Amino acid sequence: MNREFVCIICPNSCQLKVEYEGKTIKKIIGAQCAKGEAFVKNEITNPLRVFTGSIKVIKGDFDLVSVKTPFPIPKKYLKNIGKLTHSLKIEAPVTIGQVVAKNLLRENIELVATRKAKKKNIS
Amino acid sequence: MLKEKEVIIIGGGAAGLAAAVACQEKGIKDILIIERNAFLGGILNQCIHDGFGLEKFSTSLTGPEYAQRYIDQVKEKKIPFLLNSMVINLNSRKEILIANRTGLQHYRAKVIILAMGCRERTRGAISIPGTRPAGIYTAGVAQELINLKNYMVGRKIVILGSGDIGMIMARRLTLEGAEVILVAEKLPYSSGLPRNINQCLYDFDIPLLLSHTVVDIKGNGRISEVTLAQLGKRGGIIPKSKRKVPCDTLLLSVGLIPENELSRQAEVVLSNITGGPEVDERGQTNVPGIFACGNVLQVHDIVDNVSLEAEYITEGVIDYLQGRSQEPREFQITLGAGLRYVVPQRILTLKNTIFSFRVNQPGIKKTLVFEEDRKIIKKKLFLRVNPAEMLRVKLSSEELKDVKRLKMRLV
Amino acid sequence: MKAINKHYNVVIIGGGVVGCAIARELSRYKLNIAVLEKEADVGWGISCRNSGVIHAGFNNKPGTLMAQFCVEGNKSFAKLSQQLDVPYKKIGKLVVAKKKEEIEKLQKLMDQGKKNKVENLQVINSDKLKKMEPNVQGVAALYSPNTTITSPYLLTIALAENALGNGVKFFLNTKVTGINKDRSVFKVTTNKESFSAAYVVNSAGVYSDRISRMAGAEKYRIYPCRGEYYVLDKNASWLVDHLIYPVPHAGSGGLGVHITPTIDGNILLGPSNEYVKKKKNFSSTFKVMKMLASESRSFLPSISSGDVIRSYSGIRAKQAPSSEGGYRDFIIEESKAVDNLINLIGIESPGLTAAQPIAKKVVDIINKKEKLKINSTFTPFRKGILRFDEQDEETKKALIEKDPDYGEVICRCEKVTKKEILEAIDNPLGAKDLISIKYRSRAMMGRCQGGYCLTRIIELLREKYNINPQEVTLKGNHSPLLTGYRSDEVKIC
Repeated sequence: MNREFVCIICPNSCQLKVEYEGKTIKKIIGAQCAKGEAFVKNEITNPLRVFTGSIKVIKGDFDLVSVKTPFPIPKKYLKNIGKLTHSLKIEAPVTIGQVVAKNLLRENIELVATRKAKKKNIS
Repeated sequence: MLKEKEVIIIGGGAAGLAAAVACQEKGIKDILIIERNAFLGGILNQCIHDGFGLEKFSTSLTGPEYAQRYIDQVKEKKIPFLLNSMVINLNSRKEILIANRTGLQHYRAKVIILAMGCRERTRGAISIPGTRPAGIYTAGVAQELINLKNYMVGRKIVILGSGDIGMIMARRLTLEGAEVILVAEKLPYSSGLPRNINQCLYDFDIPLLLSHTVVDIKGNGRISEVTLAQLGKRGGIIPKSKRKVPCDTLLLSVGLIPENELSRQAEVVLSNITGGPEVDERGQTNVPGIFACGNVLQVHDIVDNVSLEAEYITEGVIDYLQGRSQEPREFQITLGAGLRYVVPQRILTLKNTIFSFRVNQPGIKKTLVFEEDRKIIKKKLFLRVNPAEMLRVKLSSEELKDVKRLKMRLV
Repeated sequence: MKAINKHYNVVIIGGGVVGCAIARELSRYKLNIAVLEKEADVGWGISCRNSGVIHAGFNNKPGTLMAQFCVEGNKSFAKLSQQLDVPYKKIGKLVVAKKKEEIEKLQKLMDQGKKNKVENLQVINSDKLKKMEPNVQGVAALYSPNTTITSPYLLTIALAENALGNGVKFFLNTKVTGINKDRSVFKVTTNKESFSAAYVVNSAGVYSDRISRMAGAEKYRIYPCRGEYYVLDKNASWLVDHLIYPVPHAGSGGLGVHITPTIDGNILLGPSNEYVKKKKNFSSTFKVMKMLASESRSFLPSISSGDVIRSYSGIRAKQAPSSEGGYRDFIIEESKAVDNLINLIGIESPGLTAAQPIAKKVVDIINKKEKLKINSTFTPFRKGILRFDEQDEETKKALIEKDPDYGEVICRCEKVTKKEILEAIDNPLGAKDLISIKYRSRAMMGRCQGGYCLTRIIELLREKYNINPQEVTLKGNHSPLLTGYRSDEVKIC
């Protein structure tokens, strides 16, 4: 099977032409470094992606904090995590990097905040 | 009462923050950032996806995280800033009028750094025929509504324009549970970064229809359908290709326009092609002491480059403040085939200069040639070029020595 | 559930500029007046969708009501605008001849104008034209100094608010479904409540034929004729100082594109002239947009496509079908079939200019039958929303000091402050849609078309009316902007 991939490891965004069969890579053209091959291997066996989204904040100066998974997770979980974020909440204050959700989908998937939220001033 | 300042930065987004930090690090004490929003960070606040900072910080950050790195520095360095403040007047004498809840304030600065960013091209501006119902958004506004306001804009989305914002929103909307029916792009190639095509469209099986555009919109109250058509080689519509696509939302990602209304007021000369001020290699416009950086100067695709550009122009700001600015010298840059624009448009000092430019068409194995009168000064090979990716090449003082008529072309 | 019968002396069907002008004129008398408007605000038909021109009256056939009311309306417009706090500018119009053969037509227009008692018309030569309009190409022009521009939506809203202040009741989102007469009392049924009335005024514009039929009166037929426009960025306003019209040509195939500066500093190109089937087919079309672009460039080569910020269109209520072309005079009269029903049929251009004179004629018709009593509490004055950006600096400072909401600029392109937007949201008629706020405040009318201010205005609107996200609408009931919060959406119908 022939397919084109765009490597996302670094800004070079090498466009890789790959010939593969099942999970075996036969040929890669276009990689500027070794990470390209590793990337393609991953893509055809178990593609991983970082999830980014947002969850509600309670008692914060902001309604939402943006969140991400600290590591790439299997691509197949992205939509479900997206759905889950609709029902997640965190109470202010929130700091960047703070774990706001744990063990999602029972797969040990965490979400960390990527934005800070201060406690709302009730003046 | 007129307050005097050394440096006033209009805009507290990526460019303004980086410029402020760099100016302070180089010894300027009297800085003021003016920001219209209730928070610093500009558009980064709503760019909750990652991919920022790969060059600057060697890691992949989300927009808010990238902004926070600079906001932290602004706060550490105690650089003053005004929030919820709009510059309503700017003139060529570098006098500014600001409006906020405490009143109107007059300032005059020795240096003004323009960092106002850009706005999105709208439906009206590209003359899409049809009705004008609710449910048509530019991608950035939809992004703000979802990411900052916790609203949902629709359920069945058509996106016009394969620019980065459009593709990012395709993914965002899908993860939020909406159905993104397709992305249509009027050019025969995508206008966004290749990695976004992969991560935002291919990942979710969202079709990308190249050489397609929206030729009609139907719906009285809320949009109910768009008509797509394919474009022929000369850009005309192929009538038989028209097809109707029912939807409830149309997102537009059809281009960014540098927001230079204040620059116009200050009699800054703008380039027709970039939409931003014409500048020298230090980011100075035709008005002495008015500099520009970031999206207001030229639309960027990678925020790291915005920060680098902002840092870079502070050298010119320092030179200016220390009286070391130069008279424009005889120097002409002409663009040959294959290039759409280059920034800067003129050179003063022939010191190391970074040229930012974009190509006209995607291509493989293209060489950028700098030459004067057919004498080659420098060549740089690019494995892949794409109008969606701004490219930057440096010429050293050695290479620029004695050059008067620089020509750039792509072969 | 149709409830309570309310009795009014006069029910006016149609809250356009003419309906509101009639309401205002009638409110000078001791009457119970109701205006029934099917849309969520006044003026959403042709009243807000035209060029905003108060014509001088040389384009109308002598002896017609159109000519008479146009000239009268133009003469009295300054006074009306001042009373209503509506902006206007006596900017002048040039009808430009591009070829020598067209000069004769200019002379004919001038003669017609003179017959209609239009003052100060003159034919000018190319030198004078060049001095007045360096960017326009032509061999001669008819100069009409009395031609004035205004904001047609602010005028309609002002007329309505003044009428409201003088006791007229406005019923928005109220669509007439039937008109019956029981002896000498009308019963007007709507999608909401029913109204009983002694007089019914049919000022329903494009739908006036339907209303007349509903009442069992004359079977008029209105032919909808669409006019499309382009709106140009204020940065293009340097191109012209006056209204620029080409010499009218029957059957030229072209549009005869008008170049119209607006009171706010934009330029309008258009309108086109196309008979359409549906009365509310406001679509913009590729064909017309292309023609607008090319024809306007033939007058003003410096126009670029980057100057366009928006398209819109309006539908004229024409009595003449496309086969006949041209126009027929206004019909403003008591129905011969149904007593006390006053029909206004075919109110197209110069309808805006003629609004007040038309209203006065309707009052006359009723007065002759009823001997109306003066309303001693009537006031012709009404104050609009203060435009912060138009004030001098001292005034601006004082305004912010008194109310800091003036210091918060929300619409960056048009420099509209939070205070003005709050006033627009809190308008006397209770109109809640984004378009209503737009018309009253000018927010979202700039080159970014709401790119910066939309989210802020949504918040202010939700706060004021305590509504859910999915209840924020663009232009009436079926135009929600949002499906709800991210987490608990509602399906869009």
